[in-house]
Amino acid sequence: MRTSVRRVAVTLAAVLPGLAVVAGIQAATFPEKPITLVVHASAGGGSDIFARTLAAAFEKEKILPQPIVVENKPGGSGAIAFAYVGGKKNDPYFLLTAVTSFLTTPILRKSQVEYKDFTPIANFAFDEYMVIVKADSKYKSMKDIVSDAKASPKKLTVGGTQLGSSDSICAYLIEKAAEIQLNYVVFNSGGEVNAALMGGHIDIAVANPGEALELSKANKVRTLGVFSEKRLVGAPDVPTLKEQGLDAIYVQNRGLVAPGGIPGDARKVLEQAMLKYTKTDIYKKYIKENMLSEAWMDGPTFGKWLDAENARYHEVLKAMGLLK
Amino acid sequence: MDVFQHILLGFQVALSVQNLFFCFVGVTIGTLIGVLPGIGPVTGVAILIPITFGMHATTAIITMAGVYYGAMYGGSTTSILINVPGESASVMTTLDGYQMARQGRAGPALGMAACSSFIAGTFAVIMLTLIASPLADYALSFGPPEYFALTFMGLTLVTSLSGESMLKGIVSGVFGLILACVGIDAVSGEERFTFGNIYLLDGFGFIGVAVGLFAVAEVLVNLEEPLKQVFVKTELKLRTLFPNRQDWRDCLGPIGRSAILGFFVGVLPGAGATIASFLSYATEKKLSKHPEKFGTGIIEGVAAPEGANNAAAGGAMVPLLTLGIPGSGTTAVLLGALLIHGLRPGPLLFQSSPDFVWGVIASMYIGNVMLLILNLPLVGLFASMLRVPYRILMPLIITISAVGVFATENNIFDMWVMFGFGIVGYLMRKLDFPPAPAVLALVLGPLLERSLRQSLTISHGDLSIFFTRPIAAVLTIGALVSLFSPVFRAVWESTRTPGKEARP
Repeated sequence: MRTSVRRVAVTLAAVLPGLAVVAGIQAATFPEKPITLVVHASAGGGSDIFARTLAAAFEKEKILPQPIVVENKPGGSGAIAFAYVGGKKNDPYFLLTAVTSFLTTPILRKSQVEYKDFTPIANFAFDEYMVIVKADSKYKSMKDIVSDAKASPKKLTVGGTQLGSSDSICAYLIEKAAEIQLNYVVFNSGGEVNAALMGGHIDIAVANPGEALELSKANKVRTLGVFSEKRLVGAPDVPTLKEQGLDAIYVQNRGLVAPGGIPGDARKVLEQAMLKYTKTDIYKKYIKENMLSEAWMDGPTFGKWLDAENARYHEVLKAMGLLK
Repeated sequence: MDVFQHILLGFQVALSVQNLFFCFVGVTIGTLIGVLPGIGPVTGVAILIPITFGMHATTAIITMAGVYYGAMYGGSTTSILINVPGESASVMTTLDGYQMARQGRAGPALGMAACSSFIAGTFAVIMLTLIASPLADYALSFGPPEYFALTFMGLTLVTSLSGESMLKGIVSGVFGLILACVGIDAVSGEERFTFGNIYLLDGFGFIGVAVGLFAVAEVLVNLEEPLKQVFVKTELKLRTLFPNRQDWRDCLGPIGRSAILGFFVGVLPGAGATIASFLSYATEKKLSKHPEKFGTGIIEGVAAPEGANNAAAGGAMVPLLTLGIPGSGTTAVLLGALLIHGLRPGPLLFQSSPDFVWGVIASMYIGNVMLLILNLPLVGLFASMLRVPYRILMPLIITISAVGVFATENNIFDMWVMFGFGIVGYLMRKLDFPPAPAVLALVLGPLLERSLRQSLTISHGDLSIFFTRPIAAVLTIGALVSLFSPVFRAVWESTRTPGKEARP
């Protein structure tokens, strides 16, 4: 009985003119199997936490009929994950975490895939950045840093991760806005940068608000400014760099993309699901605890934002002398 | 008194039925993960993060911490049985552990590894309980010059680890340093020797190289005489299965020293269990009355690195809990897990969530006892595995190795690295080059290079930075002495010998 009904439906679908109907049926059933969310970094990092929180919320709230499975493909500042997901053309069962490196790695590395080879799904939030110094440092504001750096160029040490990373761009933006020169020291991870700062081995560091504020509450570091347009809701006492006369604004986005050429309806389903996820308690708690700024963008808006940012990164990285 | 009250509070938390159960689950998973090469504690803890979502934060971290130090116990198993170091911290254990297994003493080696891990691990937890906060300042006193000096000293000690010829040990170490140059240059971001291959961007993976040089090479060497029985059959009697009185007498000193050394190296973020394990092995070899026996299958060579890597795992909890700074890959994942559970590790954690911190610390005492009880009966089981004929064991070793290597980063490239280095390792064995210095140099190379360049960036190229800071100066001079000690000794002996002749 059932098979005959299906057979009739199949025949009808085949006979009916136009592919739109077939596409409609497909979209109604997407996703039919678990979706793989590829994380471009190793387990335990910011993107990994983002992905695993998202996957857990999807499972708990049953946002999609199929689960999202997280898979780490770390390496090469994201290059391995980008090549992997970029190679899954037209397959809507893959998602990829997209942060700063999603744009900067292809710019710096002449990789075969670039951001245009992906379908933007959504952007969720921005990571903010703060300038910190040791609690007993002689620098009380950005002005102190600027005047000292002007007096002795390349003397002040600023710690951060690999050149081309968000930290290094933040440091460069200060140099450019204040017309000073700093001595940038490369560390392996944010944790090592903070340790070196607290130990007095470097003068300045760039940190995310979560860690910066916790260390500042314990009176280990002092926060001098934040790289945002306006003061952060969670940290109303920390002035922006802009208030202090430095035109240095920077955020890192947290978004998701899918391989290029996926069916439009699947993209829509994913985008809707992501929007629904941003309304959950798990997501709200994630944003609050990691001190992120919510910044929802749907696929097309995110795509335009990526275009603009890509052009800006090109410019900044070139000015930093990292592009030949 | 204060500490006593805190730890009492901790035990109240840790001894709840639920926490006891999940502590047991954690250490059991940790043991299994440690036994399988490839899937290390980092991946193990990461996989558990989503599973622990519904749990109370303390229970979740108790489980994950259990996986972490549990894996340190299990890590020695494959090193001893089949010459496969499951992680960089157990490379040193292969040197004497595997030789002991070949001599039919796998049981005592495994048993001593478990006991040494237990004693040193518990010592680390006691230290963590008593002096975690003051230690945080000690950890911070290590800046780039100090890390460079420490790593440099560690590398010079490699020469004392290598078999008969010191020169061959140095060549092997330099080979490892050259391999460590492959990948993105951490400072400038340039690619080095990657030939456009994206899988080489992060350099050669440690697991692939180590498993190739040790396990695959070993199988290839044994293939030359496929009918020879590689392992002396172990008698499965209680007497031969566990360390005897003499073994204990030999090991008490090394265990005590490795516990202290391992803990203090583990506290330093970025140094970690690997440096701890081989510093402790090198120390024991220098202090030993019979240094020439190291590497031939003596039990001190197992007790020292195993004790040190467990103590270091405990030590690494100090910067994590007191400063929010992860000291190793696994503690970085634990930090992520803490954030997910709404706890922000940092200097305030001890005040804001004492029941959490002390609950986790107390659970580590309990977990270590559980691990000892869990691991000792397994000794018999694992030791009896070597009774399997080698022609069956051989393909099994290759299969387990290949799966493990693939699982580390989910890519097939690492497997080719493993086979490639298997052939390299075979040639090294045939020409009597020891593989351990190469593997250790591969792990330490990036740390050495980074800290050197950081120091020189800070000092604007002035080398005196390594001599003007007290800790760095002591370590650098120690390294130079260690490196040139054979030259000094040669000069000393050449001046003494004529004197002796002149006397009678």
